Amino acid sequence: MDESLLSDDLLRQLVATGHVDILVGVPTLNNASTVVDVVRAAQAGIGKYFPRARALIFNADTGSDDGTPTLVRDATTDDTGTVSASKPLRTTHRITTPYHGLPGKSSAMRMIFAVADLLSADAVVALDPNVTSVTPDWIPALVSPVLDGRADLVAPRYPRAVADAPLVTQLVRPLVRAAYGWTLYEPLMGEFGCSRQFATHCLDVSTWGTAMTPDGVDLWLATEALAKGFRPAQAAVGPRLVGPSRKRPALPDVFQQVLDAVCACLELHDGYWLMRGQADAVPCFGTMGGAVDIGPRPDVAGMAVAFARDVAALHPVLATILSGPTLAGVTLASAAPSRLRYDDDLWAATVFEFVLAYHRAVMTREHVTRTLLPLYLGRTAAFLLEHASSGPATVDAALESLCLAFERAKPSAAARWKKV
Amino acid sequence: MTQMVAEAVRQAGVNFMDSVATLLPRILITAAIVAVGWVIAWALKWAVRWILIWSRFNHGCERIGVSAVLKTADLPAPDILVSLIVFWLVWVGFLLSGVDVLGFTALEGMVRNFAVFVPRLLVAIVILVLGVVCANFAWRATLIAAVNARVPSPRVVSGAVRALVLILAGAMALDQIALARTIVLTAFAIAFGAVMLGLAIAFGVGGGGIARRILDHWFPEHPPSEREEFRHL
Repeated sequence: MDESLLSDDLLRQLVATGHVDILVGVPTLNNASTVVDVVRAAQAGIGKYFPRARALIFNADTGSDDGTPTLVRDATTDDTGTVSASKPLRTTHRITTPYHGLPGKSSAMRMIFAVADLLSADAVVALDPNVTSVTPDWIPALVSPVLDGRADLVAPRYPRAVADAPLVTQLVRPLVRAAYGWTLYEPLMGEFGCSRQFATHCLDVSTWGTAMTPDGVDLWLATEALAKGFRPAQAAVGPRLVGPSRKRPALPDVFQQVLDAVCACLELHDGYWLMRGQADAVPCFGTMGGAVDIGPRPDVAGMAVAFARDVAALHPVLATILSGPTLAGVTLASAAPSRLRYDDDLWAATVFEFVLAYHRAVMTREHVTRTLLPLYLGRTAAFLLEHASSGPATVDAALESLCLAFERAKPSAAARWKKV
Repeated sequence: MTQMVAEAVRQAGVNFMDSVATLLPRILITAAIVAVGWVIAWALKWAVRWILIWSRFNHGCERIGVSAVLKTADLPAPDILVSLIVFWLVWVGFLLSGVDVLGFTALEGMVRNFAVFVPRLLVAIVILVLGVVCANFAWRATLIAAVNARVPSPRVVSGAVRALVLILAGAMALDQIALARTIVLTAFAIAFGAVMLGLAIAFGVGGGGIARRILDHWFPEHPPSEREEFRHL
């Protein structure tokens, strides 16, 4: 462990705390409007479900200027009125500390893992401070499989409505599932639980802190667990609602960060995933609730028209990335915006060819990722058009069918990857 | 009289034979230099081509967009083009050396001038290649950014950027080889200024609405737009 991660003052607090059974890590950066509810939910979850456990809620703050650390320190469950009957039998410690290294979630997560390692925590839970739908029930869902020895990494599984998080459902989930050979529903896990062994392993990995992880640490943690033989699991939690406080970057930047992270992980773990066959099921604990239709629906008709226009404009760039048949398919798909169809196999071929282009660096990698964005929006529009009135079961079946299309496309992509 | 004529003819014949005796070895040396030069140039051409093929030069040119430009201009593949340039530079060098051996006053100094010109030509070629690379990069970056930012007519915008960079590189290359320097510089300054002024006037007069839309998009009064409101993650 790199002891320089922990300041002397923090070490004193940690030594005073001693061993803990559960460490709840909350990495923050200007989350004043939402973080209090997250901390209260964590404290209530520990009190209700693990009253005898020694627990620590640890806030690693990477430079908030809105008073987030103070709010975390002062947050109590007493004024919620809902958890007074479930106070823990032991003190739930709470430490908040600024982090002065590289900014970003990656650095904060590393600090949380270092604390877990130092305090010999049996289980670590990371919570996204910007999620407003965290309930006390999320704590046992993410912790119990680890404490029971059934898993080393517990990813959340949220009920997703048809238009919820298409970047996950249309791109990251099927791609990671096909490549790594595990049916992990949320590879970009905002929250997760893990064992100390996994945390210690991650601290020892030299790639942590390098250019690949700052924007994609969650994905890296998930794929690292899959690739290095740690036991994955999923926990059914409620829907994921994100608060309005966080200033998210624009879609092209988010898209590029996510795709960069996916491709970086694929390059890092190609010794593993190139050998993997059909996907194995990741066990899911708990019962899935119903999906909640979140946020405004996109302007699907406008997206379809934009897709046609964008494909025509980007044709010379697409020609250097896509194979002839795939480019012809995409061009055909974009030809009639009113009857937009972008079928699963074509989308799977498109994504894998972009990943290969990224791997071969046929052009600046930023250009590769940003060229995929209009196609992703087209595919999303096509999916939403097709399932505008579908029920949850039909949507789930369609998403499963998409994952299978990615699995069918993988062998050919893997063969071409090896030739590079 | 007859004797004088005969003497003049004899003298002319002697002079001619002297000239031939002087020139013939030079011609033979020139021919030998040219022939040897051709063989060396040919061998270098194939050596360079073999090295370029071995180092996958064409693949690199494809990635930076040089191949596409050559294809558009109906020129051969990059490895063939480079090997041809090497061949002609070497052979012309030998040719001029051979001509210099002949000792013609009018051709004196050509070798020296050629020796001065070749490095400048090579620099001009490098400038052109870099210009093509920069132009293609700028074109692609502009096109992708314009498409993702919903800028109207992204191909026109990116094409204009590429054309400007290419024109700039072309003018720099011509200036490097000092080919009609004054005309090139004057024409470039006039054309560039005219295009910029024309674009500014056209945009100001006819594109006020477009400018407003673009500015509204970049600096929205009531953010965010519908596309941004929709959560992708």
